[in-house]
Amino acid sequence: MLEAAVHIVQIPYPSWLNSGDNTWQLVAATFVGLMSLPALAVLYASLVQKKWAVNVLAMMFAGFSIVMVCWFLYEYKMGFGANSWGGGVKDGVQTQFGTGKGLSYFFHNFWGKPGPITSPAGLQNQAVSAANTAIPFHFPTATLAYFQFVFAAITPLLFMGSVLGRIKFSAWCLLVPLWSTFVYSINAFLLWGGGYFAQEGALDYSGGYVIHMSAGVSGFVAAWLLGPRLLRDRQHAIPNNLVMASVGAGILWLGWNGFNGGDPYYAGADAAAAVVNTNLATATGVIVWIAMDAWLSKEKKPTFLGGVNGMICGLVAITPSAGWVNGQGAIYVGAIATVVVWVAWNFLAKVKPFSKVDDALGVIYTHGIAGLLGGLMLGVFGDPGMIQYPCGPAIANMTYPSQSTACAPFSVSGWIYTGSAHQLWEQFRAAVWVILWSALVTFILMKLIGLVLRGARYSDEVLEVGDLAIHGEEAFPTETLGERVGAFAMAGEASAARQKAEATASSSGAAVSSSEEEPS
Amino acid sequence: MKLIVAVLKPFKLDEVKEALKALGVHGMTLTEAQGFGRQRGHTEVYRGAEYEVEFVPKIRLEVVVDDGQVDDVANAIVDAAGTGKIGDGKVWILPVDELIRVRTGERGAEAL
Repeated sequence: MLEAAVHIVQIPYPSWLNSGDNTWQLVAATFVGLMSLPALAVLYASLVQKKWAVNVLAMMFAGFSIVMVCWFLYEYKMGFGANSWGGGVKDGVQTQFGTGKGLSYFFHNFWGKPGPITSPAGLQNQAVSAANTAIPFHFPTATLAYFQFVFAAITPLLFMGSVLGRIKFSAWCLLVPLWSTFVYSINAFLLWGGGYFAQEGALDYSGGYVIHMSAGVSGFVAAWLLGPRLLRDRQHAIPNNLVMASVGAGILWLGWNGFNGGDPYYAGADAAAAVVNTNLATATGVIVWIAMDAWLSKEKKPTFLGGVNGMICGLVAITPSAGWVNGQGAIYVGAIATVVVWVAWNFLAKVKPFSKVDDALGVIYTHGIAGLLGGLMLGVFGDPGMIQYPCGPAIANMTYPSQSTACAPFSVSGWIYTGSAHQLWEQFRAAVWVILWSALVTFILMKLIGLVLRGARYSDEVLEVGDLAIHGEEAFPTETLGERVGAFAMAGEASAARQKAEATASSSGAAVSSSEEEPS
Repeated sequence: MKLIVAVLKPFKLDEVKEALKALGVHGMTLTEAQGFGRQRGHTEVYRGAEYEVEFVPKIRLEVVVDDGQVDDVANAIVDAAGTGKIGDGKVWILPVDELIRVRTGERGAEAL
């Protein structure tokens, strides 16, 4: 029997794994997951009429689940894999930096090669992706993949707000995996996975373009093709529960701490700054929208739902730049985006083409326009002092145990700090791509789905009823009125009514033939 | 016997109830209703869109009383519920063919 002469502390972490980073990344991912389920589900289901609440919930849960399965079976690698079609990204490293700007360069850095990440090695090995070229990831693939999944999942759920109230459930279940594969993973690879726009220098901290602007545009196109909701539904489009709407909105806001706080991939100072900036921009958005409603709207009343809209504008607008602007920049971003979207919501909505498209929850404004503005404003407000990855030799009284002296600290130089519009230009190019690609592919997919399903919208008869016709469920059923089918068989004996009838009949002397009263 | 139906402003319920109890009316039925006569409704705003609501919340009170008490009860309701402003409501009186107490099976005036 061996005696241990030295007490060895065993830690089951490989050298590349930092438990703090892994913890925060998984926590952040969970927060973002909560933003979908239940936050967005509850928020949207509260904003629609009662007769559409179940339909919203069902599409939320189904959409989230469908993306999850696709993501781990093949799609994660298309957005964040180590190898791209054509080899522009190989083993997580960009190989064609700055060389050849032709079409082949674009297409070699366009899309990751698909594949599953469900094997033990696939899940537990160190995450390798060109999504971050400054410093390697200090957590496993499962962590990075799940974190990226929750972003991929919420994106279609966001634009469900444009198409609800008439899209077929089957059409939704087809649209989600197809859209995610052909729009989301491509935009993700191009902007984050080490693809073309990432290499060109376009930046999107947490997905103002890839998620919000893309969702806004796609939802708008899908809503246009689907046609509007029933006239009566649009005339009575009153939210059914503002208290639950606040539950959804509150979790959406606080969950965003993970959305932006998790995107540096390191639990460091920039993550903390991103969280603060997120909340600053959001709080500003709430105040600005409420103020504009109180002073400028027809009713001149501060509205709670206006505050929620402002909240969303701030959240979306800060998303492309959360860790790269300073606190004041965050306030400007939130304020500017909210003012523009408020004006768009109240005035642009009355002008073609916006007046012709029934974007049921106004996703094109709060996500499309706010996302575009946020991405452009990074080019204006990016503060070179907000260093995302401090590394290399000592920087201003701080030392970093980095091995690479070639590592340069990363930050973004916006126009007001350097006078250079370079970043703004890169942001503009990337925006044009995301808008056009999202619109085009959504258009094609909706047409295809319409062909396959012989129409992607329900008939008017179904639309008039809503949840009961589609799901056989109501959001707020009344127990008094519903009777379980086969209730007598459930009771296992003659019903109370029949027993009493027999008793009354026999007590008054009438003969009762009981053979026909036997329960089956 | 008569059925007295009163559609009234909700905040007047307590006063009407006390007035009826003082007259010895033993029971009543209350429903929440929406109604309008000459009273204007209001506008609600959700997410920047305005919605006109013509109806105003009301309560609907129903009591069955003996013929001899009808005038007293109706006047008591009107006195207790009236504010002098538009929207006070209306009272109407219907004849009742039969009245039955569910627990005992009593009928007619005994069921009151």
